[in-house]
Amino acid sequence: MNIATADWQALWLTLKLAGLTTLLLFIIGVPLAWKLSQWQSRWRHGIEVLITLPLVLPPTVLGFYLLLLFSLNYAPGQWLSQLFDGPLVFSFTGLVFASVIYSLPFMVQPLLAAFNANGQRLTQAAAALGIPPWAALLKVLLPASRAAIVSACALTFAHTLGEFGVVLMIGGAIPGETQVVSIALYQHVEAMEYGAAHRLALMLMGITTVLLLAARWLGYSLAPRGSNNEQAKPVMGVLG
Amino acid sequence: MEITLPLFGTASTTSDSTGLSVSGLVTPLNAATPWQLELPASGIFGLTGPSGSGKSTLLAALAGQRHCRGNITFANTVWLRGRRALATHKRTLSLGFQDSRLFAGQSVADNLALARRYSRRPLPEEECGRLLKAFGIEPLLHQPVELLSGGEAQRVAVLRQLFNNAPLQLFDEPFSAVDRAQVLRRLLPTLRDFWARYPALVIWTSHDFDEIQLLAQRCLWMDSANLSAPLSLPEIAQRLDSHGVGDSCRSRIEARVESLSDGLLTLDLGGISIFADRVAGHYRRGDTAAFLLEAGDISLSVEKPGLSSILNCLPVTLVAKQNLTDGRIRLQLAAADQMFYADISRLSCERLELREGTTYFAQFKAGSLAGL
Repeated sequence: MNIATADWQALWLTLKLAGLTTLLLFIIGVPLAWKLSQWQSRWRHGIEVLITLPLVLPPTVLGFYLLLLFSLNYAPGQWLSQLFDGPLVFSFTGLVFASVIYSLPFMVQPLLAAFNANGQRLTQAAAALGIPPWAALLKVLLPASRAAIVSACALTFAHTLGEFGVVLMIGGAIPGETQVVSIALYQHVEAMEYGAAHRLALMLMGITTVLLLAARWLGYSLAPRGSNNEQAKPVMGVLG
Repeated sequence: MEITLPLFGTASTTSDSTGLSVSGLVTPLNAATPWQLELPASGIFGLTGPSGSGKSTLLAALAGQRHCRGNITFANTVWLRGRRALATHKRTLSLGFQDSRLFAGQSVADNLALARRYSRRPLPEEECGRLLKAFGIEPLLHQPVELLSGGEAQRVAVLRQLFNNAPLQLFDEPFSAVDRAQVLRRLLPTLRDFWARYPALVIWTSHDFDEIQLLAQRCLWMDSANLSAPLSLPEIAQRLDSHGVGDSCRSRIEARVESLSDGLLTLDLGGISIFADRVAGHYRRGDTAAFLLEAGDISLSVEKPGLSSILNCLPVTLVAKQNLTDGRIRLQLAAADQMFYADISRLSCERLELREGTTYFAQFKAGSLAGL
């Protein structure tokens, strides 16, 4: 097989994985961050630590435990393989599953910061006008947190693009199925194909840089500057 | 015999108490003195008292946004019984906050539209247009709320509540950052006019007694977490004076509307016509209008003055004289069963040889009648 074709395939797979992970995490992350921001319990700290763990753990540790979780020798793995019609190890579905867990803090943390800053004040104001909680989330809190949402999605996407350790542990390097750019790059280096490695590395760096710049620009343009309203400031803070 | 109990969170058909009924309401602030309150289904009530006395806590407790226990019933619907509380969005009320809390990331128009969309009694389109104009919000409609000044944000927040038109409307110092002249000349007459046409039970919290005098007939007093039953305005003025918070240099006067022509409103005050200009409200002949008269705007003559550009000349009886700390004299005057104050210098008082029980002539300009 032509090496360039395999690289394009890896790039496409990586973008598909990052896009799907971002979409799934948006659907999971928004209600999760919202519930967490409203939850007045000491258990909240435990849940927040759990969500933050992938940020600090070496990816191989997470990958190792996911490998055990997906293993057909144990009940969860058997149940998951039935649910997804096949084992999750060495499959794209398994990769998506792992990425969602791995990138969870990158989606939830910026949202949580925005919701903590704005959430209670705005949902109280919405409720005080007869707006029910879910409508308050969709019509009040999300528009107020637009900049944080852009930031969270961009971070999640960019982070999933560069994922290596978890993919290596549970995905391997099956071309077209689990061979993402970071793995292909590693294989090029191992085979001393430095030209191909350069091409992939530069491509990934370019995509990530453009993405983060675009997110930053969009984030700033969504949160009006010269504002004397304090509501906008925490959102700006999320973007750093 | 059939006994009908108020239903929890559901409308009932009984007509025992259609207004607001609060009993044994306890928050962490007033653990020793539970709040009791009975108010009718409609009417405007002021709420004032020293800072930190618990006014905002009371409003938050009524709205279900503060942990409390006790009983709250409004329009035969139970909102709170013991610790069982109905969620805020299910209570037929609106609450405005001191810090406006406009919905960020949206325009002024979006904020207003959202409040109207979730209204249980949506206002007609033309009424919304009238309010927008009276509040001077039209030019700001498409602005993001983050770009509004403090006063503009407060005006939008009050308008958002009016667009919501809830049966119980709670306001927490809503005009503290708005220009005073605009509040007295334009916004308060518009509000009074609006609630005359769309009745609701309104609790208007303010440190500004002028606002309360112009909007309400009665007022609640909160002091060290003690809540009074509705009191008359002179009773509130006395309490404000005793706390040193009040500045009763503006007097509230009521008069009957005679006519409006050339922008000049003619009012009947005990058989004597007085005139007011820069009128903002919608008045009809026979309406009773309330307005404020600044003590420093009144001059006194011993004899009836001749023709003057000052349109208003009212025969008044001097009831009492009181020395003010700054050397001026505060005169309590009576005209047609109404009392008001005039501040003059000690020198004027000596020159005119003012005596209690004597009739004099009080003059004031048509433009000095605030709140019409």
